[in-house]
Amino acid sequence: MQSKCMTPLLRSLRAFSSSSSTTSSDKIVASVLFERLPVVIPKIDPVVYAFQEFSFRWKQQYRRTYPDEFFKKYESRGKGDYQIDYVPAPRITEADKTNDRRRLYLLLHGTPHATPGGKPVWHFPEKVYENEDTLRKCAESALKSVLGDLSNTYFVGNAPMAHVAVQPTETAHDLSPFKVIKRFFFKSQVIAANKLNISKCDDFVWVTKDELLEYFPEQAEFLNQMIIS
Amino acid sequence: MGMLRVSSIKRLTGSDSSIKKLSHQLLQRCSVSGTAKGKGKVKAGQALKRSKVSTKKGSDGGGGGRKTGLVAELEEMAKKCLTAPTPIRFLKPKQREREAEREKLGLISKERQREMEMLKKQAKEGTGFEKPAIIGTSGLDLISLGLVDADSIPKYELTVEDGRRLAKEYSRVLMRKHRARQKAETTLLRLKKEAIEALPEHLKPAALVPDLTPFPANRFMATLTPPIEGYIDKIREAAEKTSGKEKLR
Repeated sequence: MQSKCMTPLLRSLRAFSSSSSTTSSDKIVASVLFERLPVVIPKIDPVVYAFQEFSFRWKQQYRRTYPDEFFKKYESRGKGDYQIDYVPAPRITEADKTNDRRRLYLLLHGTPHATPGGKPVWHFPEKVYENEDTLRKCAESALKSVLGDLSNTYFVGNAPMAHVAVQPTETAHDLSPFKVIKRFFFKSQVIAANKLNISKCDDFVWVTKDELLEYFPEQAEFLNQMIIS
Repeated sequence: MGMLRVSSIKRLTGSDSSIKKLSHQLLQRCSVSGTAKGKGKVKAGQALKRSKVSTKKGSDGGGGGRKTGLVAELEEMAKKCLTAPTPIRFLKPKQREREAEREKLGLISKERQREMEMLKKQAKEGTGFEKPAIIGTSGLDLISLGLVDADSIPKYELTVEDGRRLAKEYSRVLMRKHRARQKAETTLLRLKKEAIEALPEHLKPAALVPDLTPFPANRFMATLTPPIEGYIDKIREAAEKTSGKEKLR
């Protein structure tokens, strides 16, 4: 068993066997960080835009001004077989305005993560590891138990992306040996789906990184490191 | 690739005569190769072909008489495009000196006259730089989509010093972001390594195997605006309708 300290949460690791079939006293939990990549490009810094505009204008000064008939001719010729007029969809959707966290349309330029949970505990979808082939399969089954089927998900890589070890609080009644719960996070992404049918849990919420910090204030630093943007 | 370069040179060239000669040379080489795509210049011979197609699609009544009118129009337009002026002339210092000397002598070229008229107009009306210019197709440009807050753009004039200042700030901001992102990525890698170390022994080899299956091709790419609901069905219907007709070349 390893003896080094991993995260600030891990204080000590005792390696004595318990009466269960596992050889260590650690409980290994595979949990899934289920995310949706952003749908629209993020906002642009005004300084960056100012420079791009400046360079555009500067170059325009030195470009030839073609007569207007040239452009009219070009426009009338270039249309395809079918033309469908469209109005581009707004970047801020109604789900944003009502802050409806159940619909996947929330905050198109963040990357929302799914945290289903019972009342009152919110947590990522997770499952305790029992003898399966790999931890990734365990994580997949964890997600399956929440989503129903995995056709719209993509797991990134075989290895976990981060881990936390949680010390359970010692109570007077708890005479069983120290069980450190090690939670391994696996990254997975939504593919090609607008609405996901998240059943089999009490409630679920899609949150962006900032909102996630509201739900887990004590692990803010760790989450900041684990999730970019 | 050479052909693309030609067209871009044609559009962006200043009125410097040496560059004109160079672009003509490149054009000739391309026409020898036989492919005539992507040229900004409208040659008289090519124009005839294309005008035939457009009248075919549109007015079927265009007979022989109208064709010559079109050709003349196109030729005139082509001439105007080729001799089109630029808003500000780009002159090297030597050329500027020559211009100044010629002015003293009393000879003012047409281009110099145009420049002086433009300067007078600008002095009267103002440069029109107050509100931010629209870059690209209206409605889909960054300001009207709300990607940039129009008020927080810093004010600037079109001078070299302002340009340098803006460039430095741009570089600063972007480099800061880049370094922050690199930092975050190294943190991610570090966390991953630690997680793999913390795995129990029998799970480690499975985790260490790199997953080389290609990621799904239908992973959505972030775009300017979100996808419009029901739009792709419209496109499919329209495509099915038109697939029966022959393609017009």
